[in-house]
Amino acid sequence: MARWSRLVLVVAVAGGLAFIPACGKKDSGKPKIAVVTNCTDPFWDLAEAGANKAAQDFDVELTFRQPERMAAEVQKPIIDAWVNQGFNGIAVSVIDPKGQTEDLRLVAKKVTLVTMDNDAPDSGRVCYVGVDNKEAGRAVGRLIKKVLPNGGTLALFIGSTTSANGQARPAGVLEELATPEANGTPGKHPQRPELSGKFYGKYFLVDGEPKTDNGEKEKAASNVQAMLSRVDGVPDLCFAGLYAYNPPAILEAVRAKSLVGKVKIVGFDENPETLKAIADGHIEGTVVQDPYNYGYKSVEILAAEARGDTKKRVSGSAPYQVITREGGPTQDINNLRIQFPKAADYLTTMRDQLKIINK
Amino acid sequence: MMRILGVLGLLVALYGGLVGTYVQNAPGFEPTSRTQERIQGNLIDVASIQGRYGVITLGAAMVIITGGIDLSIGAVVGCAAVLFGVLTQNGVHPFAALPLVVLAGAGVGFGNGLLITRLKLQPFLVTLCGMFVYRGAARLLAGSVSRTATVEAQPEFAASLQMIRYVLIGKDASGELLFPAQFVLLLVLAAVIGFFLHRTAYGRYWYAIGHNELAAKYAGVSVDRQRVWVYVVCSALAALAGVLLFLDMPSIQADSGGQYLELYAILGAVLGGCSLRGGEGTAVGMVLGAMVLPVLENLVNIRGLKSDLIPAVIGLTLLAGTILDEFIRRRSRARH
Repeated sequence: MARWSRLVLVVAVAGGLAFIPACGKKDSGKPKIAVVTNCTDPFWDLAEAGANKAAQDFDVELTFRQPERMAAEVQKPIIDAWVNQGFNGIAVSVIDPKGQTEDLRLVAKKVTLVTMDNDAPDSGRVCYVGVDNKEAGRAVGRLIKKVLPNGGTLALFIGSTTSANGQARPAGVLEELATPEANGTPGKHPQRPELSGKFYGKYFLVDGEPKTDNGEKEKAASNVQAMLSRVDGVPDLCFAGLYAYNPPAILEAVRAKSLVGKVKIVGFDENPETLKAIADGHIEGTVVQDPYNYGYKSVEILAAEARGDTKKRVSGSAPYQVITREGGPTQDINNLRIQFPKAADYLTTMRDQLKIINK
Repeated sequence: MMRILGVLGLLVALYGGLVGTYVQNAPGFEPTSRTQERIQGNLIDVASIQGRYGVITLGAAMVIITGGIDLSIGAVVGCAAVLFGVLTQNGVHPFAALPLVVLAGAGVGFGNGLLITRLKLQPFLVTLCGMFVYRGAARLLAGSVSRTATVEAQPEFAASLQMIRYVLIGKDASGELLFPAQFVLLLVLAAVIGFFLHRTAYGRYWYAIGHNELAAKYAGVSVDRQRVWVYVVCSALAALAGVLLFLDMPSIQADSGGQYLELYAILGAVLGGCSLRGGEGTAVGMVLGAMVLPVLENLVNIRGLKSDLIPAVIGLTLLAGTILDEFIRRRSRARH
């Protein structure tokens, strides 16, 4: 009896597993490429769309994975499984460059490795696809200067200041505001002496550092609310949100206090809420990394490598784009060709791009 | 015996699916030996994770057998990993830091146990509060820790860290996983716990407490002392798993390291035949139960499922396994 039931169980579960839909079950002979991101996020949906487009264009079999949490312990088993599966190339958004280098070196020995979004230069990867976050931070700084040409009071909001991009972005912003003296001068707010902070050029940064939320959206919102009540009545205010969810969180809190337009908002990344608010004139502008291109380029490079073509490798950093309501002509800034699209146009492009993955 | 048949069947099916996927996906020109080599490499990777999950599952299962629950396991794992990193970074030799961290874990369990037995608080609440406290403690200790940071601060520890890593994880100096040492460790620990559980009076006390605490008390079992002991062992094992996590992973974030592991441990224990009502469970079942989730996660990875599908597929597979397990037991009970 027991043996019989066990057999039924095994057959039932094995049958169930066989019905798990799989991308490309039979070996199609096409190169097998995989991309793993650092977490699940709408940002990565765009990269996934780009990667899928490239997989069509360059005729490869693609597996794209957005892990549940941002942790190396979650990412590693996924990569290991692909290596053992005999994939030709893998693209990784590195979570912890220093720590993961050792593991990635072993990966790079067996398959072609490309890093994207966040680099691990010593891992043996063939190249890196990504924006220089400090340069992109400087672009945010230039937006702030444009919004408050005579200086003013500034607050920065970001997920973390320990990750590579979490350090580079605020550093870029503040460097741009304070050039040449980039470290800031500690001081008190001219009109509100109870506010301590640092001066960067003509700009006063409340508390002298970005407010962090560890990726918790509720915390991101309460950080802004607390800041708004502290700077109540201060003129020439600008709040800058440096992770994708920060600008919408700022806007929400600013709306709740009916301060839209009085508190200037500058953003980062292409959250649809941010883009809509820019088109409406509620947010001044945002700097985007073009994740669609991250996905597309990574797959393009890996597809070429799998066929022995090393000419597709890129060097240097990818260009960011600056999005405002009115847009502007393309400029060359620090050896990068920077585009200035209109928010409404960018939103339309983004929606078209996402169609390929039905989002 | 019946309680492990279900999980055994589930495992056979999962491993069958795994090997099947490899054979199915193997490129036509590849020699069979190469495919075998790749399967073997994959199974070693999976066994390594199974070992770590198993260590905490043993602790969770013992607590569950006595009718308790421990929700602080994941936080203790994270906190222990961070503590090990901080200690070694500040000059405590890894050989000394390892027992210190396990001892600290035992201390945590002792605290949990005292609160539960002396103050008669609900285990669920005590350990849920503990979950926040130990996660907070980890974040107070450091933002993140890693072997690289330790070696940078204390270059003379590099060799001994590597030695511990080789023995407990099975990785060589280049980071290549040679053998699943964590799984070997799990088997050793399971043998020890199995001995206590099935061959000594202590084991009988634990089952008795889980079945009927009052009856055990009247039968002369020092219920409170035994329950404290079980929490001590559970948290000490969690702390050991924290050290394993530190040695295995490139870095540990204090705010996320070990997150959700308490749920995986409880899942492993229950799949392995422990009843959440207490009084049931075997050492063999615990090991088998802990093996399910890593191999299932591996299977969905190699089948290249869409990211959005994965959590649902994992949940439904586990649910299907549980339903069939229950079905088998009911039928066998009806026959007896």
